Amino acid sequence: MAEQFREPVVEHIYTLNLGPQHPSTHGVLRVLLDLDGEFIVKADPIIGYGHRGHEKMAENRTYKQFMPNSSRMDYLSGLLYNHGFVLAVEKMAEVQVPERAKYIRVICSELNRISSHLLWFGTYVMDLGGFTPFLYAFDDRENILDILDRVSGSRLTYSYCRFGGVTRDIDEQFIDMTRAFVKRLRSRWSDYHNLVTKNVIFINRTRDVGVISADLARQFGIVGPNLRACGISFDVRKAEPYEVYDRFDFEIPTGANGDALDRYNVRLEEMEQSCRIIEQALDQLPAGAHINEAVPFKVRPPRGEVYFAFESARGLTAFYLVSDGSPYPYRCHIRVPSFGNLQVLTEVLRGMLVADAISILGSIDVVIPEIDR
Amino acid sequence: MAKREVVTQKLQAMLPEDAVCKDDSFKAGVVFSAQVPIGKLREAIKACDESEYYLESITALDFQDTFELVYHLNCYEAKSRIALRVLCGHDQAPATVSDIFPSALWQEREVHDFFAIRFTDSPDMRPLLMPEDADYYPLRKTFGTVHAYHKREKIYG
Amino acid sequence: MESERVEPVIRFALLDQILNLARANSLWPMTFGLACCAIEMMAAGASRFDLDRFGAGVFRPSPRQSDVMIVAGTISKKMAPAIKMLWDQMPNPKWCIAMGNCAISGGPFEYEGQYAIVPGAHLIVPVDITVPGCPPRPEGLIQGLLALEDKITGGEHRNYLRRFRRMGGKG
Repeated sequence: MAEQFREPVVEHIYTLNLGPQHPSTHGVLRVLLDLDGEFIVKADPIIGYGHRGHEKMAENRTYKQFMPNSSRMDYLSGLLYNHGFVLAVEKMAEVQVPERAKYIRVICSELNRISSHLLWFGTYVMDLGGFTPFLYAFDDRENILDILDRVSGSRLTYSYCRFGGVTRDIDEQFIDMTRAFVKRLRSRWSDYHNLVTKNVIFINRTRDVGVISADLARQFGIVGPNLRACGISFDVRKAEPYEVYDRFDFEIPTGANGDALDRYNVRLEEMEQSCRIIEQALDQLPAGAHINEAVPFKVRPPRGEVYFAFESARGLTAFYLVSDGSPYPYRCHIRVPSFGNLQVLTEVLRGMLVADAISILGSIDVVIPEIDR
Repeated sequence: MAKREVVTQKLQAMLPEDAVCKDDSFKAGVVFSAQVPIGKLREAIKACDESEYYLESITALDFQDTFELVYHLNCYEAKSRIALRVLCGHDQAPATVSDIFPSALWQEREVHDFFAIRFTDSPDMRPLLMPEDADYYPLRKTFGTVHAYHKREKIYG
Repeated sequence: MESERVEPVIRFALLDQILNLARANSLWPMTFGLACCAIEMMAAGASRFDLDRFGAGVFRPSPRQSDVMIVAGTISKKMAPAIKMLWDQMPNPKWCIAMGNCAISGGPFEYEGQYAIVPGAHLIVPVDITVPGCPPRPEGLIQGLLALEDKITGGEHRNYLRRFRRMGGKG
C-alpha cells in the first residue's frame, strides 16, 4: 500500500523563454530554459539577435573605415577594441608609433576598463535587486566619460586611436582631471565594500553560486576575470605584453573557488590595478608627438596575416586579419571573449534555481553584440 | 618542459616532415602554424587537448580553389599560441571536434552559418547567428559585394 | 505605418487636455535596449541626467505596463518580429521614440551589401520622435522625451517658446 505513494511524480518540464527582451540580459540574449519547478533542467542560449555583419563589412571597408565598427562591437570597451585593432594593423604594416602616443593609448584604455567594470558592478547589483550602487557607479563612470569626452569627442563609441598614434594630444587639464579621478575613485572603495561586498544578502546570492572549475574553464575557452576567478593567473598584458605594459608594475588578481563572489572580487581588484597603471603611466609620460605623420592615408599592409590578442574588459580578444596587399582586408575575424564565457552556461546552469541563473549570467559579464558581431 | 615544446613534439611526430613551420618572431601571433591534412584533424586536436591547450577560435577563409579552416589554440603560459590550418575543398566536410573541446560547438555553428561548411557528427548544426530561415551564407565571396576573390597562393605564396 | 494609429471614438475637450498632461508627465518607458544606445539610455536614467524628474524614470520590463517604447540600437532581421510583437502587446495610447542613428535609418551599418539589419524602426512600428546621434548624448534623449511630451499635450503648436526656440517664425 505504501508503495503507491513512493512512485515518483511525473516530471512536468516547463519551457520558459527568457528574453530577448528582458531587463537583466546584457544585450539581446534569449535563453530557453527547461524548468522542473524552479530548477533548471536544460539551458539553451539563443543568440544572433544583434547580428550586424561586422565581418562582412570589414571586407568592404578600408582599414581606417573599419575603425567605428571596432568600437561598436563591445561598446563598453570601445577604446580597448580601437586600441587592439590599430595595434593589429600596425603590427601587420610595421608602423612606428611615438612613445607619447603609446602612453596616451594605455592611459585611455585603462580608463575605459575601469568604466566598463563600474558599469558591470552597477548593473550586476541591480540585477540582484539592489538599485543604489547603480547610481553610485554611474556617477563615478560619468567622471571618466567627461575625461575621455574632452579628448576624443565621444562618450561611448570612440574612434580615438589612429594607425601611428591618436587623433588629438592630451593637455595639462586631462592629466589633472585623471589624477583627481583616480584619487576620488580610491576614496570610494570603502563605500562600495561597505555597501555591497559586506552585505549579507549579496554574499548569500553570490557565494558558491555558479562554480566554474579550472578544467571546465579550459574546455570552454573561458578567458578574462572569469578565468582568473577559477585560480588561473592568465592575463594577456603579462603573457604577451604589447604597447608599454611591460614597463608597469601591476598584479593579476585571482580567486580561489570560481564562484560569482570570486568573479566580483577579481573585477573590483582589477579596477584598483588599473588605477596603479594609470598613475605610473602619468608619471612616466614622455614629451613628443602624438601621431606618426608619415603613415599613408590608405594603409596597405603587405600580404599575410596577423592574429593579435589583447586584454579587453571581458578577457582575451583577438583580431585575425588576412591581407592581400590591398587597402581592404581579405578576412577579418574577431575572437571575442564572451563567446566561450556565454557557452559555459549550458553546463553551469544545470540544476540551478532561476534566480541563481540571473546571478550567474550577470557575474559572467557578457555583452551580447560582441558575440553576435 | 614548457607546454608549447610538448605540443610541438607531439604534432611533429604525427604530421609530415614540413608541415610544422615555426615563427620565432611571433609576428602572426603564433609560435608555429601546422598544415594538418583533413583526415588527421581530430588526432591533432586531441594531442593539443592532452598538452593542456584550449581552443581559442575556429575560423575559415574562402579562396577560389579551396576553403581553409584555421584553428587557433593557446595555453595559459606566455606566448604559446599555435595555429592548425586545414585545407578543405568546397564540398568537403571536416570532422567535428566538439566532443574534445565543447567550445568548438558554437564556433563550428558560426562557421557553418557563414560558409556552409558542414562538420560531420556534430550534435548541433542549427544556425547560431543567422535567422532560422536564412538560406544564404554571407561570408562566402560569392555573396554580396566583395573587393577581392583570390586563389590561396596569392596570399600565402 | 501611420494607418495603425488608433484614434479614440469619443472625444472630450478639457478632459482630454488634462489626461494628455497627465500622460505626458508620467511616461513609462519600456527597457528595450538592443545595442550601444542602451547604455546611453541607462545613463539618462542614472544619477547625473536624471529622467525621473520628468516622470519617465520608471523603466518597466513588461510591455503591458509601459507607454513609450524607446528603440535604442540596431534592429537585426532576427529581432524585427520580436519588436513587432512587443509593440502589439503595448496598450494604447502608446508612442515610440527611435533613438540613435541605427533605429532611424540603419546608422553606420547601412551600406550597399548589408544583409543583416532592418534600416530603420519606422519600417516596423510607427515612430513619433527620432533622436539622432551615434549614440545620442543623454541630454539628446531627454530633449527627445520633452519633444514627445509636447507632441502629446499639443504644446508644440500652442506655446512654441516653452521648450524649443523655433528658428524663423512659428511652425
